[in-house]
Amino acid sequence: MNFEKMLVKFEFEQWLVEEAQLLDEIQFDDWFNLMHTSLRYQMPVRVNKEGTERPDYSTEMFTFNDDIELLKLRVERLKTDYAWAEIPPSRTRRFVSNVSVKEFFEGERAVVRSYLLIYRSRSTDIHHDLISGERNDEFLFEDGKWKLSKRTFIVDQTTINTRNLAIFV
Amino acid sequence: MFTIEKSLDEMSKEQIVNFLKETVKPLEGVIPAYLLGDQTVYDIEHQKVFLKTWVFVGHESEIANKGDFMTRDLAGYSIIISRGDEGEIRGFYNMCTHRGMKLCRADKGNKSLFTCPYHGFNFKNTGELVGVPLQKDIYGGDLDRSKLGLHEVKLRSYKGMIFGTWNEDAEPLEDFLGDFKWYLDIVIGRAEMEVIGAPQRFVVNSNWKVGSDNFAGDSYHTMVTHGSIAKLGMVPNATYSKRGFQIYTENGHGLNLGTPNPDFAFPEELKDEYKSNLSEEQYVVLSNLKNMIGNVFPNLSFLISHTKIKGQLISNTSIRMWRPISHDKMEVIAWMLVEKNAPQEWKDRSRDSFILTFSPSGIFEQDDTEVFTDITEAARGPMPFQKNLTYNYTMGLHREPVDFIGPGVAYDDKFTEASQRNFYNYWLELMTK
Repeated sequence: MNFEKMLVKFEFEQWLVEEAQLLDEIQFDDWFNLMHTSLRYQMPVRVNKEGTERPDYSTEMFTFNDDIELLKLRVERLKTDYAWAEIPPSRTRRFVSNVSVKEFFEGERAVVRSYLLIYRSRSTDIHHDLISGERNDEFLFEDGKWKLSKRTFIVDQTTINTRNLAIFV
Repeated sequence: MFTIEKSLDEMSKEQIVNFLKETVKPLEGVIPAYLLGDQTVYDIEHQKVFLKTWVFVGHESEIANKGDFMTRDLAGYSIIISRGDEGEIRGFYNMCTHRGMKLCRADKGNKSLFTCPYHGFNFKNTGELVGVPLQKDIYGGDLDRSKLGLHEVKLRSYKGMIFGTWNEDAEPLEDFLGDFKWYLDIVIGRAEMEVIGAPQRFVVNSNWKVGSDNFAGDSYHTMVTHGSIAKLGMVPNATYSKRGFQIYTENGHGLNLGTPNPDFAFPEELKDEYKSNLSEEQYVVLSNLKNMIGNVFPNLSFLISHTKIKGQLISNTSIRMWRPISHDKMEVIAWMLVEKNAPQEWKDRSRDSFILTFSPSGIFEQDDTEVFTDITEAARGPMPFQKNLTYNYTMGLHREPVDFIGPGVAYDDKFTEASQRNFYNYWLELMTK
C-alpha cells in the first residue's frame, strides 16, 4: 500500500470512528448532519441459505430502509418524551474495524467496507446484547466533507438477538 | 384449598388444574402474574395448548413454485413445508427416519430431494425414502424403504395461511377459526396476497402471552406507549385509537377494529378484486377501516395499520407470531403482506411504512418490546406466585355488547378488555382439560 492509499484509508477510518462516537454519545443531530440528502440507509433481513448460495440476505425486505426524511423522523422521535424504547438510553459502544476502501475518487465519491460490533446495555439488566455485521458504505464529497449517501448493514444473525433496533447501525 | 407455599412443580396434575381454576378468573378480570413467569405453566402450555391447537407456520406465497420448500417451527419442532409437482403442499417433521438427524438446515429453497447430512439417506419432497447409500450391499434385500418415509405433519390452509398441528384429533381448521374467519378474510383474504421477501425475526425477553394479549385487544396502551407517533403527526391525536369496535369470537380469538376512516386505506385500483372476494358487509368494513389489530389463538397476531408518512397516507398489513422459546423469551417472526396486484409504487410505500412502524426498528414496535420485557421481568420467580399478585382485566366489564355487522361479541369502542378476558378464558379451558 502506498502512502496516499494509507492516508485515504486513515481518513475513512477516522470518519467511522467519529461517527461511532457521536452515536455512542447520543448526539443524534450531529450524527444526522453526517448524512447526504440522497441517503439510502438499509439493513436487509439475513436468511439461512443452503450451501454457499449468495446473497444470503433478502433483497426485498429490510429492517431499515430509510431515506433522509425517514431517518430524520427517527431522530426527531427520539427527542419526544414518549420514545420509551430508549428511555433511559441504551449504553452502546460501537467498534469499527477491518476498514477497506473499495473505490475512491478524490473530492467526488468513495466506497468503503468495514466491520461493526455494537455492545448494548440497557437499564440495570446484567445481560448485554451484541450486534455484529458488515457495513458497505458509499460517500459523496460535499462542501469540503465526506457525507454518507448509502449504508447497507449486513447483520450476522438471521434472528436478531436484541429486543429492538431503536439504536442506529 | 392449597397452601400457596407449595409451588406448581410440587403439585400433582390434578392439584395444578384445581389451582389454575381457583386463581385464574378471566371472566372476573383477574389474571395472576405467575402465568407469565412460571416454568411449570410454560411446560403445561406446550402440552395442552401448542401441541393441541392449530399453529400458524407460513403463507402459501412463500413457497409459490413447484419444488419450493421452507423450514418452520411447529410447537417447538422443525418441520419442512414443501410444494410438490402438482402444486400440493405437504409438511414433514424435519428429522431423518434413520438416525434422527435434522434433514434440512436452510430457511427456504427449491429442491425436490432432501439428503441427510449423516448417512446420506435421501427423501423426495413427497416424504418417500428414495435412496439409501450402498443399500443392497449393507442391508441385503431386507430394508423396506416404504416404511421409512418422513413423518407427515397435518397442515391445512385458510386463504393462503398455512396452519399445522401435531394433534391427530384436532378439530378441522375452519371450525377452530370459526366466526373469526369473517375478519381474517378482510386481513388476508380480501385479495390475492403475497409475503414480501423474508420474515423479520428477533428475540424479545418476554412471555409470549404478553404479545397475544396486546394484539387481541389492547388499544388502550397506544395513547401512552405510542405517544410519540401522535406527537410526530402520523396519527391525528392520542385518543385516535379509541374509536371503533372490539370483537371476540369463540376459541380465544379477538380483535380491535378501528373505524371510521374518511380515506380508503387500500389501493383504489383493486376495489373490484376486494368486492369479488368479500361479502357486501365485509366490504363495508374494509371501506371504512382505519386499522385492525387482532390475535388468532394462541400466538398469531395480525395488523392493518394506516398512517401518514411523508405527508401521504398508506396502509400496511402484517402478521406476526410470538414463538415461545422459554417462559421468559420469545422469537417474534413478522411477515409483511401485500396485494399481489397492487401497483409496485404502492407495494414499496406500504413495505417501507411497515419497516418504519412494525419491523424490529419500527417506531411502534420498539416501544412495545420495552414494555413486554419489563412486564415479564416483574412476573418471574416464586414471589409473584406466593403472594398471588394479579393483573386487573376489568375494563369494560360493566358494558353490554352491541349489534355489529359482523359475527362475534362486539363492543362499540376499543377501550375494553373483553377480548383479553376471552383469550385467557379459552387458554384456561385448554389448560384445565
